[in-house]
Amino acid sequence: MQVVYVMVANAGLVTGLQQEQLLELTLPYGGVDSIIMLPGKSYCFLIFKDVLHASRAYVSIHGKIKLTPNDSGPLYLAYAERVPEFSHSWNYYQKPPGLILLEEFVTEDEEESLLNCIDWKTTDSHLGQTLKHRRVKHYGYEFRYDINSVDKDCPLSEIIPSECNFLLDRLKENNANVLSSFPTQLTVNHYQPGQGIPPHVDTHSAFEDPILSLSLGSSIVMEFRHQIGQMIPVLLPRRSLLIMSEEARYAWSHGITPRKTDVIPTQSGDLTIQQRGERTSFTFRCIRKGECTCVYHDQCDSYKKKNSISKVHIIDDVLAAQLESLHVHEVYEEIANHFSHTRHKPWPNVVSFVQSLPFGSLLVDVGCGNGKYFGKKTGIFEIGCDHSVGLADVCRDRGFEVFNCNCLSLPLKSEIAEGCLSIAVLHHLATKERRLRAVEEMVRILLPGGKALIYVWAKEQERYKTQSSYLKQDRKNRKKVCDSELKHGQQHSDASKSKDTTSNKASSQFPSLPIHTNRTQFQHQDLLVPWKLKVAGKAELDKTTEASHLESSQEVPTFYRYYHVFQEGELECLCSSVKGAKPIQSYYDQGNWCIVLEKI
Amino acid sequence: MKLLTHNMLTSKCLKGVNVGYPLGIVAKDVKVLETEFNSEFVSRIIPKLDWDTLWNAADSIGHAGDLPRAVCDDYENDVEFLKKVHHVLVEVEVIEGELVCPESGRKFSINKGIPNMLLNEDEL
Repeated sequence: MQVVYVMVANAGLVTGLQQEQLLELTLPYGGVDSIIMLPGKSYCFLIFKDVLHASRAYVSIHGKIKLTPNDSGPLYLAYAERVPEFSHSWNYYQKPPGLILLEEFVTEDEEESLLNCIDWKTTDSHLGQTLKHRRVKHYGYEFRYDINSVDKDCPLSEIIPSECNFLLDRLKENNANVLSSFPTQLTVNHYQPGQGIPPHVDTHSAFEDPILSLSLGSSIVMEFRHQIGQMIPVLLPRRSLLIMSEEARYAWSHGITPRKTDVIPTQSGDLTIQQRGERTSFTFRCIRKGECTCVYHDQCDSYKKKNSISKVHIIDDVLAAQLESLHVHEVYEEIANHFSHTRHKPWPNVVSFVQSLPFGSLLVDVGCGNGKYFGKKTGIFEIGCDHSVGLADVCRDRGFEVFNCNCLSLPLKSEIAEGCLSIAVLHHLATKERRLRAVEEMVRILLPGGKALIYVWAKEQERYKTQSSYLKQDRKNRKKVCDSELKHGQQHSDASKSKDTTSNKASSQFPSLPIHTNRTQFQHQDLLVPWKLKVAGKAELDKTTEASHLESSQEVPTFYRYYHVFQEGELECLCSSVKGAKPIQSYYDQGNWCIVLEKI
Repeated sequence: MKLLTHNMLTSKCLKGVNVGYPLGIVAKDVKVLETEFNSEFVSRIIPKLDWDTLWNAADSIGHAGDLPRAVCDDYENDVEFLKKVHHVLVEVEVIEGELVCPESGRKFSINKGIPNMLLNEDEL
């Protein structure tokens, strides 16, 4: 019998459809072989075993039944001659290369004893954490989610339970001699129905090949994804051992969608829905000594580190100075007036800080720009300094004291100020050492008890599900757009056409720095951010750090500013190395990481 | 550049300079700008100052007037004294000129009231 394709309109990934919902509706008619969901579409396809089952479903559903009561209209079905190539259709026999599944790896008794040997109520509370998706416990070494790796120098006191000792022998019995020695790390995950784990590749440099995962308590469907777009769902039966080796371990991500049911194939090959139970996985791994040497470079952190692909490792101070000169100082000189026009709304928290200074204080604003934070409090003396001659001029024109200098060497005496500001400055420094030096200089000029406030651009532009005003500005780039690697000369041939090279060509000297797409999430920490210069005309009243909604045109010079955007915790970590000061407050403010330091 | 600012500036950041304070002033254009006087503010600022430097700086540009060479004991209550200090600290501004490092002789120009203390790579 020929399979029959039925297109279902008003139901697709874009409408928020879950496979399970549609299957719950159509399965009673029987004969559903497969369901094909397409990304970004509001329709999907059902594949029926035969025309009998297809027509039963068609007659009952088409134009008559809504998928959910809140839908504005019913589902519309149509017969199709074929279905698209790209699909998530279930193929029970297809597995990523290197994936081995050993069913009934443990007995029911062994399953019970393994589940019982895990003490979730551990006294070391940080070792038995409750993450938002599932409970986790580590043995041997702790997996650190903040660095996405293992601290190889810090073994845990809790070693892998002796109940697991059967592992190597059991593998031999199954003719799966994939391990030469007993694993050195165990992670136990406990999933309630509805919990999952986002797709990920286990960090190459942290763990060897293979990785073994035992499923206890319940079966589940794990989804494997390859970079090129393929997704393969794999059913992990209860008490089975999953072995991820070679390509499956290194190049495919694995994840569990947080939901309460899974779509699985039945004996006869068509689809059904299975409720999830509480599942506990035991994932055994061998800590890798040294770096990974695999061939799967795109997912390999060792390879990327060695070849400086996704990061710019500027170790050289001279090179850092050159980068800053070209992509910070020169740019600000060129854009000073335009920049100043867009910088007149001060951030309230910074203003509060200034106003909290006692009467008779000296306030130094390092990197004061146009003096945005001056004049907010009477009875204090304000001195600004900035590298940019153009911006300092604006500051001076507004009636404030200012001088030019480099923030790495402040020409100021020590212990003179009650307050110090560094707003949107540190992120223009190209090495950690230089950023540290800048903070040390600020601490040096503070009086004991004096406070410094530092704001830097955050890599995380979305926080607590709220987008920063930087992101909200976006009109054209609603979806996340990846940064583009600079291709020599290609993108910026327009810019170089302007006769007097006022727009610096983004970086023939720094070709590995990615160019950011304005008003999108940051994909890298070190990058170049475009600034389209608006020439004489009405000033844009921009609330945040980017200007100009001009259509990209050959007339508009574009400048590229260097930024090192800070990850969560990074600013605190940097300041913790500064002697003589302690952090008294740290927070997130509209796309910035912020800290207040007090001089001891 | 006001003399209050000058009182805080140093060239110690230069390579090879040990103290770098006080900076000499060569003034080509000085302006006087009347600003609102607040006695409490001036009282609070005085302890931060290197008085000799203030007096010498004011004198070198011809604006010391009858500013005393030393701070009197009860200055908080001496309004006349405080007014003189106020004048010298914030009302006198060097618009064009130079600051000079006392050890190396290195000059930093002052343009439009803004001292330029940007260093070259080899000076850091």
